[in-house]
Amino acid sequence: MATGADQAVGLGIVGFSLLLFTYYTIWVIVLPFVDSDHVIHSYFLPREYSVILPGLAALILLLCVGVFIGVVTWKNRKPKKVD
Amino acid sequence: MTKLLEWLLCFSVVGVAWGLVTFDLLDLQLPPVYREVAWPMPVYLLVVFGCYSLATVGYRVATFNDCEEAAKELQGQIGEAKEDLKKKGLKM
Repeated sequence: MATGADQAVGLGIVGFSLLLFTYYTIWVIVLPFVDSDHVIHSYFLPREYSVILPGLAALILLLCVGVFIGVVTWKNRKPKKVD
Repeated sequence: MTKLLEWLLCFSVVGVAWGLVTFDLLDLQLPPVYREVAWPMPVYLLVVFGCYSLATVGYRVATFNDCEEAAKELQGQIGEAKEDLKKKGLKM
């Protein structure tokens, strides 16, 4: 078995993804079937955000990947040799 | 039929079904609750897939076995290689 920090980080990631899955599932699938005056609606943003926020997150992820590639490419550029 | 064609076919069928429900192209007059649930479906499926990937990665990080002897052996070999290269003149 992995020890110490590895186990903590791994289990933390699993826990976070389960939390995210549960919250998002309730938001998208369960809430439309719940009466609009139930108290649970106060814990969730308006429905449009359930599409906008993941879209934004995906854009930010793409941006980070692009910036990383750009930085690494910039650092590895070498001047062309003149024959 | 190639795998690519299979996947494309599957995606198109699901996509058409989703489009029909979301944009009401067949005028089926479904109850509004079902339309409410259907329209974020593509984003929802992507998020669920992302959560599954994250959980798999986290689980495998937590259960990956440490190999104590292999680590020690590797450190020993690194030390030997450094000594060897120093003798041959490589500056570290």
